Amino acid sequence: MKKKLIGAEFCVGLAASLLVGCGSKEETGTEDTATEETTEETTEETTEAEEPAAEESADGYELALVTDIGTIDDKSFNQGAWEGVVQYAEENGITRKYYQPAEKTTDSYVETIELAIEGGAKLVVCPGYLFEEAIYLVQDEYPDIKFILLDGEPHNADYSEYKTGDNVMPILYQEDEAGYLAGYAAVKDGYTKLGFMGGMAVPAVIRYGYGYLQGAEAAAKEMGLDSVEVMYHYTGGFDATPEAQALAASWYEAGTEVIFGCGGGVGNSVMAAAEPASKAVIGVDVDQSPESAAVITSAMKQLSVSVYDGISDFYAGSFKGGETTVFNAANDGVGLPMESSKFKIFTQEDYDAAYEALVSGSVTLINDTTLTTDDLGLSIVKVTVVE
Amino acid sequence: MDYIIEMLGITKEFPGIIANDNVNLQVKKGEIHALLGENGAGKSTLMSVLFGLYQPEKGCIKLKGREVKITGPLYANELGIGMVHQHFKLVHNFTVLQNIVLGMETVRGGFLQMKEAREKILALSEKYNLAVDPDAFISDITVGMQQRVEILKMLYRDNEILILDEPTAVLTPQEIEELMHVMRGLAKEGKSIIFITHKLNEIKAVADRCTVLRRGKCIDTVSVPETDKETLSEMMVGRKVNLLLDKKEAKPAEAVLQVSDLTVRAKHEGHTRDIVKKVSFTVRKGEIVCIAGIDGNGQSELIHAITGLSHTDSGRVIINGVDMTQKSVRFKNTHGLSHIPEDRHKYGLVLDYSLAENLVLQEYFEPGFQNKGFIRFEKVKEHGKRLIEEFDIRSGQGVNTLTRSMSGGNQQKVIVAREIARNPELLIAVQPTRGLDVGAIEFIHNQIVKQRDNGCAVLLVSLELDEVMNLSDRILVIYEGEITADLNPKEITVQELGLYMSGSKKGVVNKHEE
Amino acid sequence: MKNKGIKIKKSDFGFLSSLFAVFVGLLFGFIILLCSNASQAVPGFLTILTGALTHGNKGAGQVFYYATPIILTGLSVGFAFKTGLFNIGATGQFIAGSFAAVVVGLTLPSLGAVHWTVALLASAAAGAVWGAVPGILKAFFNVNEVISSIMMNYIGLYAVNFTVKGSKTLFDSLRNQSLPLPESSHIPKMGLNLLFPDSSVNGGIFIAVLAALVIYIILNKTTFGFELKAVGFNRNASKYAGINEKKSIILSMVIAGALAGMAGGLLYLAGSGKHIEVVDVLPAEGFTGISVALLGLSNPLGIVLAGLFIAHITSGGFYLQLFEFSTEIIDIIVAVIIYFSAFSLIIRLLFSKISKGRGEVKNHE
Repeated sequence: MKKKLIGAEFCVGLAASLLVGCGSKEETGTEDTATEETTEETTEETTEAEEPAAEESADGYELALVTDIGTIDDKSFNQGAWEGVVQYAEENGITRKYYQPAEKTTDSYVETIELAIEGGAKLVVCPGYLFEEAIYLVQDEYPDIKFILLDGEPHNADYSEYKTGDNVMPILYQEDEAGYLAGYAAVKDGYTKLGFMGGMAVPAVIRYGYGYLQGAEAAAKEMGLDSVEVMYHYTGGFDATPEAQALAASWYEAGTEVIFGCGGGVGNSVMAAAEPASKAVIGVDVDQSPESAAVITSAMKQLSVSVYDGISDFYAGSFKGGETTVFNAANDGVGLPMESSKFKIFTQEDYDAAYEALVSGSVTLINDTTLTTDDLGLSIVKVTVVE
Repeated sequence: MDYIIEMLGITKEFPGIIANDNVNLQVKKGEIHALLGENGAGKSTLMSVLFGLYQPEKGCIKLKGREVKITGPLYANELGIGMVHQHFKLVHNFTVLQNIVLGMETVRGGFLQMKEAREKILALSEKYNLAVDPDAFISDITVGMQQRVEILKMLYRDNEILILDEPTAVLTPQEIEELMHVMRGLAKEGKSIIFITHKLNEIKAVADRCTVLRRGKCIDTVSVPETDKETLSEMMVGRKVNLLLDKKEAKPAEAVLQVSDLTVRAKHEGHTRDIVKKVSFTVRKGEIVCIAGIDGNGQSELIHAITGLSHTDSGRVIINGVDMTQKSVRFKNTHGLSHIPEDRHKYGLVLDYSLAENLVLQEYFEPGFQNKGFIRFEKVKEHGKRLIEEFDIRSGQGVNTLTRSMSGGNQQKVIVAREIARNPELLIAVQPTRGLDVGAIEFIHNQIVKQRDNGCAVLLVSLELDEVMNLSDRILVIYEGEITADLNPKEITVQELGLYMSGSKKGVVNKHEE
Repeated sequence: MKNKGIKIKKSDFGFLSSLFAVFVGLLFGFIILLCSNASQAVPGFLTILTGALTHGNKGAGQVFYYATPIILTGLSVGFAFKTGLFNIGATGQFIAGSFAAVVVGLTLPSLGAVHWTVALLASAAAGAVWGAVPGILKAFFNVNEVISSIMMNYIGLYAVNFTVKGSKTLFDSLRNQSLPLPESSHIPKMGLNLLFPDSSVNGGIFIAVLAALVIYIILNKTTFGFELKAVGFNRNASKYAGINEKKSIILSMVIAGALAGMAGGLLYLAGSGKHIEVVDVLPAEGFTGISVALLGLSNPLGIVLAGLFIAHITSGGFYLQLFEFSTEIIDIIVAVIIYFSAFSLIIRLLFSKISKGRGEVKNHE
């Protein structure tokens, strides 16, 4: 186990497994279940990670990350962001530490952020929208401390006021572009019967889905296909459920060739259905190819990259506080892991071209989550929405 | 004189008390030696010393003239000493055979060899007249049968000295009869039996010699045939005990309890059976009516139906002219009914409550003991102290004693005190003296008679023929859920009563008497 | 109080056994600290012991805040235990209570000043209903309350998840949790914010302590408590004594449920930003309640102390993060303490056996 963990630390650049936005939180589990299993690992990892910095601990830890309620190795936001922190810290010999709140409340997040500051933090990374309120509260109180907030923007409890201090760098991702690349690559690779199984219909998931559909449409148009069929469904949760698995299996049975499993445990359900049927799965958020041989590619958010960049800017004196940074194709914030993808026809050149089209703006996507799939202007792609 | 076992000058002290004070016990080979004493006289301690559970401070144990130091039950077993405890030590979901063999299994190549064991057990059971079904589960057989299993367990281990600790306390008269027979057989075959009891009849019936203990001291060892019951009881209690109850003629007045056509049906595994069948009788003010019968003939169900502890399927229970068939226990309790239940641990007491609390178990809600829902503990304790004095209840810490820590006799006294103190108009007493020693029995019998003389109607249920004959003014025999006879104790003998109880004789029952 | 002689000695011994448990648990915690990082074990250990206090009044306030719900779930378990029932369903009652509090909190802001009171009462009522079900099953069908109340935990969890998710007025679809509660539904600080500035503590702790007092009085001073305990000790004897034992069992569970429900209400109405999350995970407070009851020997006042203690070391464990330890260490330490509190029960049993042996001998006289 130890070996594996050390290994994991060195492979930081390789974005580890993160799951879709909000859905990811489910995976983190609770103190009860997750803690017991991971206690040993985490303890080891902590000591392992801190050893080089031990003598500096008197001055505290400059870089801090506050986990949302899950543990640091949650294969999700905590882990992805932490890997970005560790990579930068190791390259530059900077002390870092992560803190865990006592419970999942705004008060507790604030308390933990304050503990991190007490521990000497100059920059606090807060992975996940759950920290929106907490950062809203602390940003004015600690003007000298910088905060990176992933996947959210600071606001007050009832959403009536949004405010981003100069010391806060909120990061959002354009999931639609990642979804677009996945849909485009799938059709280009010869799949004509696609599926999309999202978790809960929250904006991040919807954007993934709409991007996916538009990508499929674009590829079909280029290839002159008559029709591409897409099964489309939100399970309404982010857990791996027998229902989701059964539905995915029935889609595969009916001819669907590849399903985009977009939402935490839902992806695992899809993988579980795909393996016996020898069908394909598209992963989400992080490179999910290690999780199942059925994963042909993944629509990724470069979490650790964006955290790494944010920290670099901080040390370079150019911290991008005060406004929201959107990570998309243009700044390498989203993409497909081409090295680990299992495409038969779709090549790196095809990918680069499609990517370039997104960067240059020659392709624009509809990502308004209030629209329905009918409003996306699809002509070749036939969407069957399963309620 | 050849003694197989001798306990000489045994002294066993516990902090603050000498449980055995220089006690001598000498048992001959092939005799039945009774160990007589009241509850707490030190019988159990002495036997625990013999069985190796305690080490005595002074004294020695000789086996066949050779001094031995018994370090524990296993070693005692090796020496041929076996014991049947008052509460059997059997595994309920094992068969008879498995229980007997347990701990002594013959194993060959890692496999149990049950065949030989079975043969040995069958031979033993034949030889000593101990009929058992080796393949029956303990949970399915009667208490008497379980006792036979315990005895067989000792015989299977080739024990020569058998200790029986109050073996008759849990048995029906018939089973006691059988046990006596078995004991005589065992003695004839050369086994030595130490028979712990406080029942004089049984000693007279079966024992050869008797050692009497009182308050830890050895009073004497006497030859049973040459000593009468009165002497034995005097030795045991330390004063003259009146074995025959001094009781005046009953003067029955108006009816207090009228039971008519009472039926209780048991619904068991899909089929129903009438346990109490259309029973009708009357108990009048100033008389003691006894329901006599062999255990399991519907007595418990009948009493439960009358007191409200369980349902009635049909019929009526009228107390003092009020139909109380469907009334709650609380209503009956507060309207003249007192009930000494048959099982003091199951029903009679909350063992984890203090003595004082148990003494107000049916009265804690009365204005005298509570105020706006708050218990007035000082009143409860006052009440407790009064009853402790009045009924001579002995306990370690007075009203604060945890009932669980009290002796059985005193626990029963608590119940009797509580029920009688409520000045009942109808007193139902079910086996009120079960497991008690002579002194306590005398006391409780006197209390019951006193209640009768004060105008209380008493309904007594007893399995002990002596008690039935002594105490009652009228006997109702119950057999298979029916009242089969209405007898006058003065007109029949114990033998006759036994015939009625076993169902081989039926009498005339006046169903609607006045 | 009840018995001047041996009983007080026994309860003293119980207290000592709990102290012993805590001591051994802490010792083990220290060993674990030593194993994981010897150089910081001593300051780390001191942080566990004093953690909450080194962070001034705020830290102390947090301890009270964390203690509030677990004192109540502990009371719930302990009260049921005193009346002979093992309420393992405190979790489900806690969930039901939280749900009711959140529903009232979100739907009835028009109540104004009494809003939080109504929400809290609703949580107690919902918990009571949730507790009543196993109580009724036990009383009338002799269904083991352990099993039925465990099942009620899951029924509660999924029913609440299902309802929250399906309701537009409750659900924050962006966050997969319930919407934030309005200010009027928050438990008032009752002056505690002046004593413990910046902490999440609120009047809930007073309510919890008050509940403990009330339970203590019910159990030890009233005829009602006399009945409940009697039924707990011996159902047959209670029936024989004319106590309506079915009613008592149900009422025991109802009260236990109300306490656990109130725990949920107090936590979610605390104004600390707690939401009902739609996840398939039972909240920890219910089971922590079992530990608290165990450590507090089911004595209401003991439970208050045990709750405060567990909250104290939990919060000490939080501050332990300033060192190179992970918070899981504190979970291990708490677990060890609980483990040893069970162990100490065995010792206590042993001792009471010895003293009982003496008692019996005394009765030989």
